[in-house]
Amino acid sequence: MSTLEVAALAKSFGGLRVFQDVSFTVESGGLLGVIGPNGAGKTTLINVITGRQVPTSGRVLLDGRNVSGQPSHAMSRLGVTRSFQQTNTFKSVSVRENIVRAIRFGGRGMPAGLETLLGEFKLLDRLDEQSDKLPYGLQKMLGLVMAYATAPSVMLLDEPAAGLEHAERHQIDAFVSHVRSAGRCSVLIVEHDMDLIRRLCPRILVLDAGIVLADGTPAEVLARPDVIAAYLGDTEEVA
Amino acid sequence: MASSLIQRPRLLGGDEAGALILVAACFAVPILTRNILAYSVLNQALIGVIGAQSVWIMLRMNLLSFATPAFMALGGYTVAIAGEYNITDGFLMTAAAFLVPALVAVPLGALVLRLRGTYFVLVTFVLSQIMQLLLFETPRLTGGSNGIAGIPAATLFGVDMMSQRQVLFYTCGLALLATIVAVALTRYFRQHFASIEENEILAESLGLVVWRYKAMGFVVAAGLAGLAGYALVTMLLTAHPSSFDSVVAVDFIAYTIIGGRGSVLGPIIGSLLLVYATQMFGTQGQYAQGLYGALILVVITVARGGIVGSAAALLRRLRPGRRATA
Repeated sequence: MSTLEVAALAKSFGGLRVFQDVSFTVESGGLLGVIGPNGAGKTTLINVITGRQVPTSGRVLLDGRNVSGQPSHAMSRLGVTRSFQQTNTFKSVSVRENIVRAIRFGGRGMPAGLETLLGEFKLLDRLDEQSDKLPYGLQKMLGLVMAYATAPSVMLLDEPAAGLEHAERHQIDAFVSHVRSAGRCSVLIVEHDMDLIRRLCPRILVLDAGIVLADGTPAEVLARPDVIAAYLGDTEEVA
Repeated sequence: MASSLIQRPRLLGGDEAGALILVAACFAVPILTRNILAYSVLNQALIGVIGAQSVWIMLRMNLLSFATPAFMALGGYTVAIAGEYNITDGFLMTAAAFLVPALVAVPLGALVLRLRGTYFVLVTFVLSQIMQLLLFETPRLTGGSNGIAGIPAATLFGVDMMSQRQVLFYTCGLALLATIVAVALTRYFRQHFASIEENEILAESLGLVVWRYKAMGFVVAAGLAGLAGYALVTMLLTAHPSSFDSVVAVDFIAYTIIGGRGSVLGPIIGSLLLVYATQMFGTQGQYAQGLYGALILVVITVARGGIVGSAAALLRRLRPGRRATA
């Protein structure tokens, strides 16, 4: 278990500011939800924290140690892994090979309860199928399981429920609960599915146009008029 | 727990064993025949085998390298210059022809491996052009446009490799060595190279140190190119800039892509067949480049796996029910 702290983090591409002054802490073993309309900078935030992109300013701290600007393989080796919004696997090889590679590249051996997780998502029966022949939902779950197979201490999940059917979405609940209990992971989850966020997250952060708009429990944050406005657009004042 | 998920990989794939056997079988030619033309064709083909494997290693990571002639020149000229000091020991020169280009590839790799796709292609092409310039502009070391002629024959256990037959034996040995190196590298790091080829971003996010494997591939590919250069100057007894023209890179790339980039058998079969086919053109050898171009077009449009890939696909179709391999 690790504590992930982000302090005054900012990212710009030339003159375009994607986000600025983002600060929060995911406590050891904790779970933080990040929501916000499209283009709010959520995926870029994950990219910057996991070292895919270099921050323009600010710091990322893992258990108090400054790890900002480390490349993504180094972040993974430090125990910080991410999942991707789209399905992202090694398409031409089997489910088994995908998982074996994740374990090997992670370099920490097989994490606790990996086979239970595979069984739960019906992947254990399909170990020898080519990964891109799986249905979309299973490819998505495979991507999540691969991130977990590196035995991380912090996981950043980029819209894990996107593209899943409603009936499949409870699997995300099961996944998050499994990696927190068996894998002792701290989790940051970016998601649009408000029901899922309400169910899972004791605390959420709202990003809008690159700025932290709100930070608190789902009940109080989702009731705020500025958060509703950010999601649904401003309501016209009626005279 | 781990037992059901992780299966122990085989030591060698069928194609890799086939590649080693095929190259080793070339030793039979100088034993079985005295045909000088066969010697010459096989010698050229085996130089192709070595050079094409250098290209293939980089293609395993989705990097198309035109730098092979530059590293070949480093290997070839190292041997030629050593020859001027009468250093001809086969083992020593094999090591030097591999190590000199491999060492030069370390700093070069740090520069060019940041690039991908067409940028990598262009920069490696430029490396070969720069090498040409260096060869012409340093006449005291390399003989400039005259090259270095009259290189003494390689010696092995005190025996001079003078006859064409001995030279062919020697080239067979170099080609087998190159194949063993290429197979060992790509087999041991099979998952790493395949992951970089297919999805570099995912591999890196899972913790794979991508640059380390690219650098390793680049260095070994440079060493193999050096061995190809050594084999070439041993055959010609001359090191000349025209032997290492950047156009030579196109031949090696053609052998690899037409033979099939998916397996180590590809560059080997591609080199053997295409060099033989070029000879069949007889005096019209100058049309070979056109033939290669046309064949590459065919491969890219209708048979992406090349000769080996298409044959494997055909075999799979004849044996249905096989599941995805690991």
